[in-house]
Parts: sequence; C-alpha cells; structure tokens
Amino acid sequence: MSTINFSAREINFKIVYYGCGMSGKTTNLKKIYESIPGTAKGELVSLATEDERTLFFDFLPLDLGQVNGFKTRFHLYTVPGQVFYNSSRKLILRGVDGIVFVADSAPNRLRANAESLRNLRDNLTEYGLSMDEIPYVVQVNKRDLPDALPSDMIKKVLDPSGKTQFFDAVAAKYIGVTEPLKAVSQLVLEHLAQKA
Amino acid sequence: MLQPSLELYGESFEKVDALLDDLLAKSHAQYVLIVDLKGFVIAHNKALWAPKPPSLDSLATLIASNYSANLAIAKLFGETGFKEMIQQGDRVGMYVEELDETALLVTLFDTTAALGRVKMFTKKAVTEIQTILSENKGEAPTMNFDENWHNSTRALIDGLFGPSK
Repeated sequence: MSTINFSAREINFKIVYYGCGMSGKTTNLKKIYESIPGTAKGELVSLATEDERTLFFDFLPLDLGQVNGFKTRFHLYTVPGQVFYNSSRKLILRGVDGIVFVADSAPNRLRANAESLRNLRDNLTEYGLSMDEIPYVVQVNKRDLPDALPSDMIKKVLDPSGKTQFFDAVAAKYIGVTEPLKAVSQLVLEHLAQKA
Repeated sequence: MLQPSLELYGESFEKVDALLDDLLAKSHAQYVLIVDLKGFVIAHNKALWAPKPPSLDSLATLIASNYSANLAIAKLFGETGFKEMIQQGDRVGMYVEELDETALLVTLFDTTAALGRVKMFTKKAVTEIQTILSENKGEAPTMNFDENWHNSTRALIDGLFGPSK
C-alpha cells in the first residue's frame, strides 16, 4: 500500500525484486544505481555476506520528482534468493506496492524459478495479499547464456494465463534493466490512482 | 489502497512536530525520527547543534528492518516482542520505542546525552504522541489523481528511465 505523507508532501512506493538465488536481483539494483543521475538517487545499501550473497536486502531510493506538489519516490529492495532466507524475504515484502520477479534463464534453474514464484505467493498470502492485487512484471534474465531456455518456455511455466508483462534481459550488461522497472512503476502509479 | 502515514497531518502534525522539538531539547539527543515499519520516514527533527545526519532513507529502512527482525526473533521464543531496542556505539546511541503497530519513535544521541534521560523523555513523548493521534478528529486530506497527474507521472517516468520504445 502506497504511503502518502501529507505533512511532508511525499508519496512513497515500495518495489521489491524477487526471484531465486543468483537470478540477478542485486545486479539489477547495481546497474540502476550506476545509470540514474546523482540527484535522483540515494545511497545503495547492501546487507550481504562476505561472498556478496544478499543476506537481508539491498535498498536503493529513487526520486521521480514533483507531481501536483507531492514529491514522488520509489524505494527499491531486493530479497535474498536462497531458500533458507525465507524469514528475511517475508519481512521485506511488508507494505510492498510492486514486484519485479527476476527469472533465471538457465535450464537447471527452471524449477527454482517456479518454486520462488510459489514462495512469493505464499509470503504475500501471509500479508493478506494476492498476486492479482499487486502490480507485477517478470524479467527473464541471463538471456546471453549459451544454453538459455527459450523465453516462451519460461513464460509458460511462470505465467500460464499470459496476463503478465515479460522482459528479456542481460542485467550484467545493462540490457533490459530499466524496462521492467519502468513498467512496474507505471503499473504502481495507475494502481494508486484506481484505488484512491 | 491510499494510506496516509499514521494520522499525521494539519494540526496533529504541528503538535507532534513541537513534541519532537521538545524531546530533542529535554533529552539532549541529536536527531528524532518517526519511521513507519515499511521503512519510510514520516517526520524528523534535528538539534540545531547536531551535524548533518546520514541518509534518512537508509536510516529509516535499516531501523524498520532491524525492528522487524528483532520482532521475528522474539516470536521464535513465543514472545510478542522485545521490550526495548537500544544500540550503543562509542560515540552514538539509538533508542527505539513503538508508537503503534505501524510506526516507531527513534531517538539518536551522542555521548553528551545520558541513556536514562533519553529513555525517560522518549517514553514520555510516545505517550503524548499517542494521545494526539487518538484525539485527531480532522478530515484526512484527499488527493486528486486527474489527467494532469497521469500525464505528469508518465513524463517523469520517461525522464528518469528514458522514453518508451
């Protein structure tokens, strides 16, 4: 649920990058941090292990600018992808406004993608939310892998009904990084206007 | 759903703002913040003599996450939560109190402030803020999401992430 701070004249949105371990969630945030001009971004905070695996979350605040006198801001988070960090993932989903699900194109990660999506559904349910209520897009990452599964196959597994927007990406090369973020940002803003 | 942070607007915001100033003066703290559990800053004040604080966004996110993690630990042991959240370094300390189920009052202080004093005045401020919130009868402000708002947000998103292909 978007937070409107009438006294500070701010609208804040929380967007979470979700997905299985090593799918490229942190890489997305790092690339966004590198590409956004200094005045529009805050510090990139990473709570990671010594070997740079996300332990709790990564966090990056972005300033969209003023709309009708209200400063509009997106707070981007990643969750730790490894299965055993589910308590942390659940905490980060609190108050989520939009989700970018980062899928891994490697053949041996198809099952992990599906399990991560199921885990996302289960964790949202604990907050009384469903995937139908939350603006949500999928980034199919690592398209440059020589044995990458066809995007359509991943799509059929993750979204059999075909309702979700999918974006091919090679996040490490900054390909397909801004498109899913832009799409989910637009969905989140439309969602707010509809629900208000 | 459109959700105002706490019920802080208009007169209630001004009263809370004055209380935060009072808390700073009496506790000798450097900074006070009201942070919601989603990690957003709702209100903040700084003592005149205190240096520029670190990024408030980072601070609020880390405090809210730390609080939520501690709550989860307490629940593992069948507790409803831990009574106090205090962090003390060599130069800086932090004291956190729950305002309600959605927000925290955070007091940050240096070595010139005594922890006992910070705790006492922070607890007192929590009670007073809770009273202000419970007495808040004002109408919640509304926002107009008109065509102009849609056009402006689209233009800003294009500006930040590049135009649509």
